[in-house]
Amino acid sequence: MLIEFITKAGRKGIQIYSGIAEFRDFVKSIFTSFKSLRYLRFRSIYTIIINQTRFTGVDALAIVMIIALLLGGTVIIQALTSLPKFGVEGFLGNLLVIIIARELGPLATALIVIARSGSAIATEISVQKWSREILSMELMGIDTKLYIVFPRIIASILSILGLIIIFDVVAFIGGYIISQTVVYIPMDVFGQTLIDAFTFKDIIAALVKSVFFGITIPLICCYYGLKPNSKFEIPIYVSKAVIRTLFIAIIVNIAVSTLFYLV
Amino acid sequence: MNETILELRNVTYRRETITLLDDVSFSLTRGDNVTIFGPEGSGISSLFDIIIRGNAKFDGDVFYKGSSIKSLDYFGLMNHKREVGYLHGDYGLMSNLSVEQNISLPLDYHSAMSASEIKKHVDKIIYEVNLDHCKKLRPFDLTRSEILKTAFGRAIANDPDLLYIEHAFEDQCYLNIRSLIDVLTERSIRPDKSLIMITYYPQNFIDISDEFIMFFNGRIVFRGKKDDYMASDNPYVVQYRTNSIEGPMVIL
Repeated sequence: MLIEFITKAGRKGIQIYSGIAEFRDFVKSIFTSFKSLRYLRFRSIYTIIINQTRFTGVDALAIVMIIALLLGGTVIIQALTSLPKFGVEGFLGNLLVIIIARELGPLATALIVIARSGSAIATEISVQKWSREILSMELMGIDTKLYIVFPRIIASILSILGLIIIFDVVAFIGGYIISQTVVYIPMDVFGQTLIDAFTFKDIIAALVKSVFFGITIPLICCYYGLKPNSKFEIPIYVSKAVIRTLFIAIIVNIAVSTLFYLV
Repeated sequence: MNETILELRNVTYRRETITLLDDVSFSLTRGDNVTIFGPEGSGISSLFDIIIRGNAKFDGDVFYKGSSIKSLDYFGLMNHKREVGYLHGDYGLMSNLSVEQNISLPLDYHSAMSASEIKKHVDKIIYEVNLDHCKKLRPFDLTRSEILKTAFGRAIANDPDLLYIEHAFEDQCYLNIRSLIDVLTERSIRPDKSLIMITYYPQNFIDISDEFIMFFNGRIVFRGKKDDYMASDNPYVVQYRTNSIEGPMVIL
């Protein structure tokens, strides 16, 4: 029984290790591909960057704003009803900045991007691989890693940064409006509390998170998108892409928060 | 112009325990057009790994324009692939790009031409292969012959010295690809352009090819000029031409 458990755990450990090693090789090959940037003409990836930014950023605006509004409202209502019980209502602004701007905004945005664009990237690439489009590109002398991954990383960073800013602004404004149905706070007081609570560090942390999310989301989704060897493997790897990117996004969020606010 | 554009020298290519190519040697002079044929598993598809992809492990050597493909590094291989036009039977058109965008893709990526020069060049190819009516459409909306023509246009967009066509015409209606055959025929008489045609139907390329090479079990079993092929009493060629199960080739 114990031996069987140890064998299974060992096998799983080896599997995880070889998976990580394979991903590391993929990342290394991307770095190698960056050397061929000198052969790349920007015009060939310009359209991909525009299309990806439109899909990841602009097309996701509506859903991001709705979720920001609802989450912002929930946090503000909870804060306004709970803080007075502890006599710390003066810290409302700090609490909002901590919950919405530092954590909820970047993480919720990343989750929306993973659900919408991450799954789309993995599906698109795996279908391209299956229909031998990627092979065709390779045989035209196109560095596929550069051509596929690089524009998606640029587009994701730009989109996520923009979406995080919009998420925070909508969550604050929308949340304030919703909270007016529960308790009255003058607009200038609310605004001043937020301004006082915001620090330069918060802005840098949001920027760093958007860069990390912008790199990891397309990178992992492209990795799994390039994995399927047959049609029936496509949904398996798309599902893996979404779940693992989600997992990594949460780890990235914690790591950056720890780095900025704990260390 | 007797420059050797491609040379395979004693190439033996194995994958695990199977020998895919067995001591294969042949060369192609600039301006020559060769049709390579043979049944499934004969080794004709493995030539792709050796000549085009270049990353396979094999014995012997392959030279393109005098340089060994084996010695090329990552970027050297990229340049090699850029220089050889390749068209395969799955076509592999980018599904999110239109006909004209598909054809201009290698130029957008590699060429030093300006956007307007690329457009002019692509329009010329589109006109030649008769794709004007569908140049704004995506592959999803195209017929098989239009897909082939687009993939062909893309393969010749960089004006490669060597064009490698692999099973691309196998399930096409020849009436629909007449304009394409005309372009190919015109190209075949140019002294500076070479063609390798990998096919199961060599008789379809009698007018285009100068030379025919037949493979079986990874080895060359016939090599000859157009007339030799047509009049050959080589038992392999005879068996292949007559689609007979009687002969030196044991077909499963």
